[in-house]
Amino acid sequence: MTSWSPEDLRGHLQTAVEIEWTTIPPYLCALWSITEGRNELAATCIRDVVLEEMLHVTLACNLLNAVGGSPRFTPRDGQPSPVPSYPTFLPHSDDAFRVGLRPFSAKALKTFRKIEHPAGGGAPPEGDRYATIAQFYEAVAEALADLAPDIFTGDRSLQVDSSYYYGGGGEAFAIHDLTTANEALDVIIFQGEGIDLSIWDPDRDVFGEQEELAHYFRFDELYRERRYVEGDTPATGPTGGPILIDYDSVLPMRPSPKADDHPAGSGLRALTDECNETYSTLLVQLEEAFTGRPARLIESVQTMTRLRYESIALMNVPLDDGSGKNAGPAFQWRAPSGG
Amino acid sequence: MGQSAHRPVGRLSEVADYDIVIVGAGPVGAILARVLGSAAVGSEPLRILVLEAGPAVGRTWSDYQANVDHYLGSSIKVPNAPWVSSAYAPSPDVLDVRPLTPDSIPDDNGYFVQYGPLPFESDYVRAQGGTMLHWLATSLRMVPNDFEIRSRYGHGLDWPVSYDELQPYYERAEWELGVSANVEDQEYLGITFRDGYHFPMSRIPLSYLDEHVAGTVDGLTVTLDGEATELLVSSTPQARNSTPNPGYRPIGAHGAEHMGLRCEGNSSCIPICPVQAKYSPLKTWGLVSRHVEVRTQCVVSKVIYAGSAPDAPVAALEYYSYTDGLPPPATPERVTADIYVLAGNAIENPKLLLASEPTPNDNIGRHLMDHPYVLSWALMPENIGAYRGPSSTSGIEVLRDGAFRKDRAAFRMEVVNWGWDFITNSPFSDLESAVDKGLYGAELRAEIADRVPRQFRFGFLYEQLPDPGNRVFLNNGYVDALGIPRPCIAYDVDDYVRKGMVASQGLSESLFAALGATEYTRYSDSKPGYVTYDGWPFNFVGAGHLAGTHCMGTKRSNSAVDSFQRSWEHENLYLIGCGSMPTVSTSNPSLTMAALAFRSAEAILDDLGVR
Repeated sequence: MTSWSPEDLRGHLQTAVEIEWTTIPPYLCALWSITEGRNELAATCIRDVVLEEMLHVTLACNLLNAVGGSPRFTPRDGQPSPVPSYPTFLPHSDDAFRVGLRPFSAKALKTFRKIEHPAGGGAPPEGDRYATIAQFYEAVAEALADLAPDIFTGDRSLQVDSSYYYGGGGEAFAIHDLTTANEALDVIIFQGEGIDLSIWDPDRDVFGEQEELAHYFRFDELYRERRYVEGDTPATGPTGGPILIDYDSVLPMRPSPKADDHPAGSGLRALTDECNETYSTLLVQLEEAFTGRPARLIESVQTMTRLRYESIALMNVPLDDGSGKNAGPAFQWRAPSGG
Repeated sequence: MGQSAHRPVGRLSEVADYDIVIVGAGPVGAILARVLGSAAVGSEPLRILVLEAGPAVGRTWSDYQANVDHYLGSSIKVPNAPWVSSAYAPSPDVLDVRPLTPDSIPDDNGYFVQYGPLPFESDYVRAQGGTMLHWLATSLRMVPNDFEIRSRYGHGLDWPVSYDELQPYYERAEWELGVSANVEDQEYLGITFRDGYHFPMSRIPLSYLDEHVAGTVDGLTVTLDGEATELLVSSTPQARNSTPNPGYRPIGAHGAEHMGLRCEGNSSCIPICPVQAKYSPLKTWGLVSRHVEVRTQCVVSKVIYAGSAPDAPVAALEYYSYTDGLPPPATPERVTADIYVLAGNAIENPKLLLASEPTPNDNIGRHLMDHPYVLSWALMPENIGAYRGPSSTSGIEVLRDGAFRKDRAAFRMEVVNWGWDFITNSPFSDLESAVDKGLYGAELRAEIADRVPRQFRFGFLYEQLPDPGNRVFLNNGYVDALGIPRPCIAYDVDDYVRKGMVASQGLSESLFAALGATEYTRYSDSKPGYVTYDGWPFNFVGAGHLAGTHCMGTKRSNSAVDSFQRSWEHENLYLIGCGSMPTVSTSNPSLTMAALAFRSAEAILDDLGVR
């Protein structure tokens, strides 16, 4: 075990924010590419997972604020943009796989499974070059235990709780000591990868909600087109009824689009630039929300809705390069032009 | 509580099928099922059956979405558009209403049989969840003087409960429905709150339009009937999800709990909230004990009494269980219980009693009230962001009480976010008239963008007094597909209301002038709800606030039920809902109805000796 300084811990918690954030645009692309009314189970599953990832971002920001850090979503203080350009490796991972922006497809589901893969018994905690996200958080948990209680110096007014955050697989809560910090880590790890011997996530215990499969297994059942039922384990795989998946009822977005794909002055370039600007506005609002102005989260919901409309509009435009593919949102940072 | 002159009914016998049968799975049925379903005799839960005439429309998220699809696919977005009614349990629809003439009476177009002289224009929904599936979610308390109208203003009937007695039940109702409001906005005209009380959620933010109107109207003094009043635009308490206060967790969509945790401003509250951020009784149904049995598509046709004495207890209910698409059932079924609750609405409850022998209390069916709803509309000088947010998020409440109520109706004023929508079929009619002017392309878009966001209207809801001539009755010549008599309705709007309309019209004109708006209000004698007073014309529609037909009072001679909504004649029969309201005053009645239901649930538990 390496021993971290408070500065190391804050650096890793910023990485946590970035890891959680990095998963969201790929999930959104898959979700928004699904034709309304088709693949309903898949759409519901992906939507639920995105909502929970947003909760994880919020809890990671609360953790970072609790230990005196300051979450970043935009380039500032001489640092580069903390959000990735797709395709990307997960931040500070072992670079085993890349995550791209893709429409709903078997390939996308395979990537999603990899993102949410459980640590597996005996995998050591790893703060850097981790193989699974669980290993990363185990390392964070050890450092927190090591540095507690002195590390919890953060300004409590920076914490974002359920007054401002809502909608994702449970409630955001304030973090101010080791107990609340560990509760947050438990939510992040267990919702994603499941508890060692169980494929179900802990919502029911923590939040009193309905029993729900952990993310990995939700994607696994879609990928295998078969439901998990009670009694199934990671070893048995899903043994329930079939799931109907229709990969044809999907907008065929070209993977990981960029604004530069389209010539300057073209209509698609303008639409992509506009969508990137909306995305960047959202990042600015989130940064403000997690650095002392939590009411910004309420305004950011409108930006999220606009991002969705603009992204779906792009996904409906066929490219004229003969590929049979459509345009799509690029999720690129662009310094918003003001306002 | 000492409320009961009746002996406790107790578990009368093991031979009854159920302890309690509730007729109607709307808002009242849901609250009763929630409270009574969690009670037990010893370790055994109460045996409760709920019979609902209509279908289940929202047992899962995708069931509910089918209603959204219906709404999206309907060409006229009336309140009942999303909710498919059954041929065997038809719902009245606002599209059924036609102008009445002496020659056209009775008009049996649709489910109601209209005897006039004016048409009864409100609708309702017969389905699990009831008419609160398409309500706006306005959750105002009544003002204390509303409970004492006879003593103070010399007409109507005093309530047998006071504001103070109802206060704790208002709190329960506000927490059950999930009302968003701030206490300091709601303390007017004598309305008080318990020290330290807070609503479950903070108020829904005022719309840009609200703030714009308040900027001009707040502090203006108007003099109506010699009384000077300083106007104030108040945030309206609404049962839709907002930022929660301590101790409350917003309830999301039924079957998709991540959805609907905050109002998203979809602006289709009436007829349907697509994310279920607005309260509907489906949310309460989601919390009802599994021991409560709900049978939908069961139309109760008769109350069977134990003998022919006018005060015989109820012995059984007769009902038809139907399946849509199949022939009607040939014979009714029967169910027995110790306590019977009619929780239909102010038309279905009396309809059922009037169809049963012996003839009920003479007050049953009489005093039908609604809020006649009049609109005035204008074009603002600038963009006020019309059509954003719920239909109405603020109102002018300070004119809801005053000495003038001796002479004319009080009213509340809605500040409306939805432009002219159903008045002129806007924005579609704006598009048509712009195209007719020869506009197209960018000019057409500019015209629409200029005009539509400037549309503004006030909505006025007037108190209607109880009039024995406004009533629900039956005529065996008019029956539904099951052979059950349809509601016949005699309805009029008296001078008390019309004088209120005149007062509001003058106020509306002066406020439009103060706002710099150009008034476009025009009332037409070809509309069904056309009335005049002193040469002033008005068009009214129904607000859907049916009340009064089994009014509560202090004695058998002036009312149909006691303050607990228990029938004066039949000791094991409750009639629960807006029908029990002796007067309707000016507040949208759902919150008061819910508060009264909580109070009655306690009385029922007392009857059964289980509290």
